[in-house]
Amino acid sequence: MKEKEETTYEVPIGPIHPALKEPFLIKFKLDGEEIVDAEARPGMNHRGIEFMGMHRNPMKVIPLSERICGICSIVHQHMFTTATEHALGIEPTNRARYIRTIMCELERIHSHILWAGVAAHEIGFDTHLHFTWKIREKVMDLLEYIAGNRVNYSMWTFGGVRRDITSDMYPKVFETLKYYEDLYEKLEDIFLDDPSIKMRTQDVGVLTKEDALALCGVGPTVRASGVKKDVRIDQPYAAYGDLDLDYVIPSRYGFENKGDVFSKTLVRLKELLQSIEIIKTCVEQMPEGEMTSEPKKAALFNKLEKRSGEGIGRIEAPRGEAIHYVRLVEGRSDIDCWKIRASTYNNLATYRPMFMGEQIADIPIIAACIDPCIGCMDRAEIIDVDSGEVETYTKEELHELSVKKTERIKNRGIK
Amino acid sequence: MPTQTIYTLIKQLFTKKATNPFPVKYAPENMHDAAELIEKGELEINPPVKVPPNLRGKLEYDKESCIGCQLCVKVCPSEALIFKEDRTVRHHINRCTFCGQCVDICPTNSFDFTDEFLMAGPRKLNDDLILNP
Amino acid sequence: MNFVVSWIVKFVFVLVISLISIFLGLLYKGFDRKITAMMQSRIGPPLRQPFRDVKKLFMKETIVPDGAVPWLFNSAPIFALVASLVAFAYLPIGPFGPLMEGYGDLILLLYLLAIPAVAMAMGGLASGSPYATVGSQRELVLMISYEVPLAIAAVTLAYNYNSFSLATISSEPVWNTVGAMGILGFALILATLIAVMPGELSKVPFDQAEAETELAGGLFVEYSGRNLGIFYIAEVVKMIFVGALFIALFFPYNLSSWYSFGGPEVINGMLLGNLIADILFFLVKLLIIICVGVSVIRVAFARFQINKASYFYWVPMTVIGLLGTLLVVFENSGL
Repeated sequence: MKEKEETTYEVPIGPIHPALKEPFLIKFKLDGEEIVDAEARPGMNHRGIEFMGMHRNPMKVIPLSERICGICSIVHQHMFTTATEHALGIEPTNRARYIRTIMCELERIHSHILWAGVAAHEIGFDTHLHFTWKIREKVMDLLEYIAGNRVNYSMWTFGGVRRDITSDMYPKVFETLKYYEDLYEKLEDIFLDDPSIKMRTQDVGVLTKEDALALCGVGPTVRASGVKKDVRIDQPYAAYGDLDLDYVIPSRYGFENKGDVFSKTLVRLKELLQSIEIIKTCVEQMPEGEMTSEPKKAALFNKLEKRSGEGIGRIEAPRGEAIHYVRLVEGRSDIDCWKIRASTYNNLATYRPMFMGEQIADIPIIAACIDPCIGCMDRAEIIDVDSGEVETYTKEELHELSVKKTERIKNRGIK
Repeated sequence: MPTQTIYTLIKQLFTKKATNPFPVKYAPENMHDAAELIEKGELEINPPVKVPPNLRGKLEYDKESCIGCQLCVKVCPSEALIFKEDRTVRHHINRCTFCGQCVDICPTNSFDFTDEFLMAGPRKLNDDLILNP
Repeated sequence: MNFVVSWIVKFVFVLVISLISIFLGLLYKGFDRKITAMMQSRIGPPLRQPFRDVKKLFMKETIVPDGAVPWLFNSAPIFALVASLVAFAYLPIGPFGPLMEGYGDLILLLYLLAIPAVAMAMGGLASGSPYATVGSQRELVLMISYEVPLAIAAVTLAYNYNSFSLATISSEPVWNTVGAMGILGFALILATLIAVMPGELSKVPFDQAEAETELAGGLFVEYSGRNLGIFYIAEVVKMIFVGALFIALFFPYNLSSWYSFGGPEVINGMLLGNLIADILFFLVKLLIIICVGVSVIRVAFARFQINKASYFYWVPMTVIGLLGTLLVVFENSGL
């Protein structure tokens, strides 16, 4: 055993590395080409967005919240808006619920196609990176057509949405959905049947069902292991309650719930199909009505300043469950507290069992298979500048710190 | 190993390319000089993509109808709007994020979107990047 | 005296061939990038992009990292370039016979072909970076993997002609020397060699040594400026060298043997028209070989894991190669 220790060497992947699309550090212990230990260390991309938000009024934070992530901007916007609505006791209109659902699902299509391209790039298959990103343009065009912007859509407002999907937009929506339905078979050919892709994805980065449950992973990452977990079904929000949905897990399509990269690809591709169906149903069932329940913006402004309360926004992002917590305090126009828990934060814990025993060649694809979004989830790391030591807190110490902070907030009193 | 991919690739060799050659097909030697040439009209550029009807482009501001209520200044997330002494607002387009909250909240509809989106230029503080200076 | 003059002439020719091969290499790299881009539905860089890349690399600062062994680190690119250039002197190009006719043979060429890979691995190991070390190990593993089918192909060809001399092998196309079964055998050998080509040139699916997304450039990770520029040139020269070797071994056809284009007599009694036609024909053949062996394979497959790449060369490719050899031997023994 001692001999083994001498032969291992450390290779850091990150903070800047072509395998990672954002600054992030994973330290690997390698034995030849084999990984014997892996340690994920976030903290390279912390932007303090929550702090920025706590110094702005909620109306200003809506556009800020969608800039948390470039891919799932609708997700964060939705969570922040619903959390604030929850705190204020505002109910969105029914039509707004449907429009929100459609936008969320369009974004899921966009995110999953993007992921497929990135995954292909990570295994050295740039052709499919170019192909998937080429077909992704179509849904981005549709989003631009509906929202007016290509990336940060600025569609949400308290009580509803700011832009309507009118009946003259339906042909374009259906045309885009048809485009993806036609292409779907080809995508499956590429990602599920191509021999060289199969060689790189099957039995790579296996996450067992036990590990997935124990480590609290979320989204397609754990659904590929057969865990039935989907906020859209477990705790429906927006218009999902009206829809008939089922968990997308590999065994539903006659595959094994293996939890390897192949199953994760499969789950994401099948969700693409599910999203197309959801949008179709939503467009058909869309109720008439107002776009927002708070049409008078000046009155809404007063409401935001005068009410206090706390709320939670929960959503099934393309990457998995994510949560926003918002607290508003009477007499203070700025947000009192804003906390974001993005899906990648949960999924990071699943890295270790997936990496163990794999090869260096599999690092990029396994790192990409949870669809990491470091910008969404990043946390600050405490470093002693003089000694360069990184402080790591245990669960007890963290608890103690939070108790202290709660007391500090209590003593500060509410203005 | 002849796969489906190879067939697609050979087909793509002869079909129209997905790249939009905007503003020119190959990157010029010096982008700054090229931008100035384009400004003078000496260099022809390939047209940009078609924009959808509801594009959030460059804002336009109607000074006359503005009543100076400051609601737009309150909702602007990037602080691109500055309230002036003559009870109108100055709009810095180089800071604008095109969220359109000012357009929505304005009680007199003094703000509106145009479909202009080519705002890049050699100078950051160009006259046309500040509305109502 | 005559002896000295002939050597000086040869020396000048080697220089000229080196310059031409560098130029052609960069040009074909441009073609490769353009065709690759078009197959991926992109416009791609202009053809002169590789020349610009090299120009820029030579203008940049050359950094030798602290942990490196400087003399080894700096000499590795030169070894790689010189080995690829020298190889051209032993290779028949288009209508011309090998410059060093009678001095080297196929075995020498195979060794010269191995030197750039060894030099790259050497440079990687000397640069003292863990990425480069992993890259070098992979390069060496890959080398011992693809050498097996390559050696089988070489031995089969030599057996067929009873000679290792390239001049002899390229004097008559291999397809004319054997019957139907032999043609099938050589087709199998050709298939293995096409599979060896991307490995030899470190292109996807066998670019594990560089593996951009895994090792951030692998054994080149610490190289910069002039050293990287020399590696770049060595790589493109090796690319057209392998292409030209393919042509010499399997497609040594010349247009002039079918149709005479006339023109005044120039070298060794060759007509000018024929000479130009043959050279152009050679360039077209080279382009097709590089398209098939590099561009198409590069865009149509994912990068293999290193153990699977080794397996691919050692088991399926070796078996196919040996099958080809068996067929050729069977044919030649006249059973």
